[in-house]
Amino acid sequence: MTFSDLFQRRLFFPKVLLLCIILFSNIAVAQGLKVGLRFQKTSGMYWENGISTQYSFANFKPNRLFIGFDFVTSRVGTAFNSNAINQSSSLLSASWLFNKSKAYHFVARLNMGYFYSDLEEEFFKEIPHSAFLLSPELGFLYDFKDIPVSLNIGSGFYIITAEDGYSPGTLQPLYYHLDLYYRIFNNPRK
Amino acid sequence: MLKFFLAGSLVALTFSCSDPTITDDLLDGDAIFDPSLYNPEEYLISAKYPSPTPEDLDKHIILAVHGYSATTFEWEEFKDWSVNPSYRISQVLLDGHGRDYESFKASSWRDWSSAIKREYEQLIDLGYTKISIVGSSTGGTLILELVSSGYFNSRLHPKNLFLVDPLVVSSNKLQSIAGIVGPMLVYVEVDQSAEEDKYWYRFRPHETINELNEVMKVVRKDLEDGVKLPSGTYLKVFHSLHDPVASTTSSVLIFKGLKTNAGGKIDVQLMNSDIHVFTRLSLRNNVTALQVANQLDAFTQIASKLN
Repeated sequence: MTFSDLFQRRLFFPKVLLLCIILFSNIAVAQGLKVGLRFQKTSGMYWENGISTQYSFANFKPNRLFIGFDFVTSRVGTAFNSNAINQSSSLLSASWLFNKSKAYHFVARLNMGYFYSDLEEEFFKEIPHSAFLLSPELGFLYDFKDIPVSLNIGSGFYIITAEDGYSPGTLQPLYYHLDLYYRIFNNPRK
Repeated sequence: MLKFFLAGSLVALTFSCSDPTITDDLLDGDAIFDPSLYNPEEYLISAKYPSPTPEDLDKHIILAVHGYSATTFEWEEFKDWSVNPSYRISQVLLDGHGRDYESFKASSWRDWSSAIKREYEQLIDLGYTKISIVGSSTGGTLILELVSSGYFNSRLHPKNLFLVDPLVVSSNKLQSIAGIVGPMLVYVEVDQSAEEDKYWYRFRPHETINELNEVMKVVRKDLEDGVKLPSGTYLKVFHSLHDPVASTTSSVLIFKGLKTNAGGKIDVQLMNSDIHVFTRLSLRNNVTALQVANQLDAFTQIASKLN
């Protein structure tokens, strides 16, 4: 390695690092962060409730593009104090909001995640009980003006490609949910 | 038994806004009916022995109940296999089944169940004291509903209940939205062989799929709340590990929600199988040695409890 190479590297890597920091800091300044509760019902199956968060960037499609994380479980739904199966779904999502300047928005969302059901007994371990999730979703969001609260309703459809008999029985495709968000911060638009 | 919404890989959906074209070579038509309608004495013990002797009454009777859209054919192999003189098999044809398409379409799950009740009560009235029931697929669901609704509480308690691939949750993911898309589809056509067309409805009206979903929902809810078997009743579930019609999770729900009268666990056996109603091998293609062994295992266990 020549001195010139070393010099190039010494200059090159800090430049890349600096660029990343600038880029990341610009994007990662949150335009908005909402956290809240999700109430979800699967058609023909369980109530599964949990938490939901939505996050938008200040300098990258603010108030248009949201990324989110949702976690729902039947433990605080149908399985609470019953013999229903304890199961949970964790989802990462990307959402696109329409009607950016208005209080109400139509929402298109794509979710990806993981489903797990706890069958409890050792001799049930071979029964399909987990699955990767992919679901497109449509919804409607309303931001209240006077209070930092948003209300979202949506309906999605899990695309289940596994052969019949090879996916968890209590994972059914069509679901509806209601989300009640508290807007923790919502920086003014640039 | 079920096949699309209740079957699996060999299914063809027909999208239509009118009733199907039904020919006389189908069970759905006006020419082929379940033989138990012509000769009930060949299928129902109550009809065969209307005045049972004390020797007859000493026999253990097992009601064999078929599944959704099927006929008495589903338990024919068990009858053929059974040579044990200590028990007799009464093959029940669910109401609304084994007739024509319109009869099936007009039937409710309560109609389906009433045929089981009718034979069970007739046997009691005749004086039988040892009665068991085996049900496949929806037959198992209907048996569970009889237990959870308390039907047996005021009657003779069955000695044994056997469920083969019982349907509490479907493997077919579209079945849960049949109530939404059903009116557009009108019916579902199943791709089955010409020979099977004589024993299972080829066309499944969406109304009957809704009925099926309804009874599954009733049973699932009851299991969530908790159900106890009648005193003195033994129950065992046999389920294919990868059942393409009745999800094996059904048996998990039964295991969690149904206890013996003393509060103990029920028996569940998972079979190394990927066919629905593994006890019926007749008219199936490429039957394997494992499938034969599974069938024999279940038949042997059931028969051993009927002494």
